[in-house]
Amino acid sequence: MDLVLQAVVNGLVSGALLAVPAIGFTAMFAVLRFPNFSVSGVATLGAFAGYVAYAAGLQIVGSLSVAFVVAGTVGLFLDRVAHLPLVKQGALPAAIASIASGLVLENVVRLGFGNDMRGFDRPIARDVRFGDIRINPQQTETMGVALAIMLLVFAALAFTRVGKAMRASADNPELAALKGIRPERVAMMASFVGMGLVGVGGMLLGLDSSIDPLTGARILLSIFAAAVLGGLGSAPGAVLGAFLIGVAEELSVLVVGSPYRSAVGFFAILIVLSLRPRGLLGERAF
Amino acid sequence: MMNARIGRRATLLGGVAAVAAPAVLRAETDPIRIATLTPLTGAGGAYGPAMAKVAAAVVEEVNKSGGVLGRKVVLVSEDDQTNPDAGVRAARKLIDVDKVAAILGTWASSVTTAVAPLCWENKTFLCTVSGADTITQLPHQGYLVRTQPNTVLQITRTGGFLVGLGARKIFTLVPQTPFAKSSIEIMEGVARKAGGSHAGLIYDDKKTTYRTEVDQALRFAPDAILCAGYTPDTIVLLKDLYRAGYKGKIIGQAYAINRKLIEQVGQNEVVEGVYTYAPSVAEGSNALERVKKMSGLASPDPYTSQVYDHVNMVLMAMAAAKAFNGTAIRDNIRKVTQGGGKPVDNAIDGLKAIAAAEKVDYTGASGPCDFDDKGDILDCKFRYEQIKAGKPVLVKIA
Repeated sequence: MDLVLQAVVNGLVSGALLAVPAIGFTAMFAVLRFPNFSVSGVATLGAFAGYVAYAAGLQIVGSLSVAFVVAGTVGLFLDRVAHLPLVKQGALPAAIASIASGLVLENVVRLGFGNDMRGFDRPIARDVRFGDIRINPQQTETMGVALAIMLLVFAALAFTRVGKAMRASADNPELAALKGIRPERVAMMASFVGMGLVGVGGMLLGLDSSIDPLTGARILLSIFAAAVLGGLGSAPGAVLGAFLIGVAEELSVLVVGSPYRSAVGFFAILIVLSLRPRGLLGERAF
Repeated sequence: MMNARIGRRATLLGGVAAVAAPAVLRAETDPIRIATLTPLTGAGGAYGPAMAKVAAAVVEEVNKSGGVLGRKVVLVSEDDQTNPDAGVRAARKLIDVDKVAAILGTWASSVTTAVAPLCWENKTFLCTVSGADTITQLPHQGYLVRTQPNTVLQITRTGGFLVGLGARKIFTLVPQTPFAKSSIEIMEGVARKAGGSHAGLIYDDKKTTYRTEVDQALRFAPDAILCAGYTPDTIVLLKDLYRAGYKGKIIGQAYAINRKLIEQVGQNEVVEGVYTYAPSVAEGSNALERVKKMSGLASPDPYTSQVYDHVNMVLMAMAAAKAFNGTAIRDNIRKVTQGGGKPVDNAIDGLKAIAAAEKVDYTGASGPCDFDDKGDILDCKFRYEQIKAGKPVLVKIA
């Protein structure tokens, strides 16, 4: 029983880290209307940008900001140049183009940093025990940062003009345009913030383990599954989906063993798409 | 008229003779062709260049002392890029164009698995340093030997080492690989035989955290854990074992728990006391001294030492057969490497003895080089090290 409880705790930790890029992914889908798979490359880029900043002496929050800005800028550039021109032909061509640009980014990082694993130079601390349950102080810290970022995003969506404009645009682009919201600007904002969050997510996951050019590719399926599970386009749905996927992945290790862990993501997508295509929370942007 | 006709015939005959004679002569002095196919680039790129260099040095030495039964040896070197596709392309060229009798030194198991069928179908002999059990189980008809211990030998000896340290409850953590299941089964056998117990699990090497796997392992309350993965996943695993407060013994492959891993973990107490194991070179042997000189390396790696042995064995096998093709090597390699006779550790001494009709028994830089029928080595020494203050310290070679 305590093994199950421990797995749930572990799942909540990885779910919190997964939630940040999942929000970014789903927010971009809500506004731009295509699944942007270049998040794999952007997450890697964010992780490496944060790594360089951290190595240069910035603290965690400073490094996360660098990761956000670099990932957001590159993500926005890719959307403008490669993805959005194709959206007019439908979501599929844009999605395929985004897979390609993700691969390009991954290999650009590989060109610059090589294939080696790199770790953030943080002291590794022993776990704190609560009865039979272990929690690591650093992971609690990383999880706290992730939760703070989520709160910030939700506050921005709820209370700022930009957030409201994004939600309006996601809800009904024509109506939003009639109200004077410039769809062009909202789309750029969604690209920048969404990709920025993905980059931050890449760095958060890197803080917890280590980074290499495949960091983003490894979490792509989990991010996508979390977003689909919660309802593509719904930010709270992405958070719920991320926690569920995180916990399910850890629990699956106890039941079927860890080589089948990635099946959890596929299985979740399969079930949701066949039973409730709108996802758990539907498609509301907030 | 008549004269002219005879003259023409004579010319024709003479011409035929002139063309044919060198061919007969050539057949006797044709050089012997062999090749190295080592990873000069890619994941094995740290090892391949030294391997090729040592092979070339052995060939040069043999040529200087008169070749093999008077024939010159030509060595061709190709790069397998640590990639099965590139390996197959290079092997095709070596077999079809260069017409080599033997290919030496394939490193990655995936490359060896891809190249081996080409070799046995074309009756080209293959010497490899790859470790996966499945390689010698291929239907290679005898055209393959390997100097690297297989999984059975590696895990049996590592388990024996742990038992010797007093471990009775052993847990094996191994990524999903061709050797995953057999590693767990073999370690289980070793632990039971020592009156202990064992459990294990196979993990996904792409995870960013192994907290749940570590929890599962620690529930078993092991006094020793075998981490049989590669560097990237072992980094995460060791960190998580440390976080979880595990204080028992840990052992892993020296190719995974290496300098890069220690650097990456960045905190010495996480890896403090961790043991590593690796097939050992024949420390203190004359053959290893020769490898040191030829490679310019102060402590040659096992693969460079093994390729030195490959070249020596193959050349002596052909001399013993008085024939210079893959089948001759297949039928004679065990006659020069095992079963008693004059002990030799290099081809020059061996070739002299063979020319004098003596039986030789080769022992090389990587060990005794005795093979079973499948092509696996029967025995080899292992090198055990322990990390202390961020540096590997030799525990023993056994």
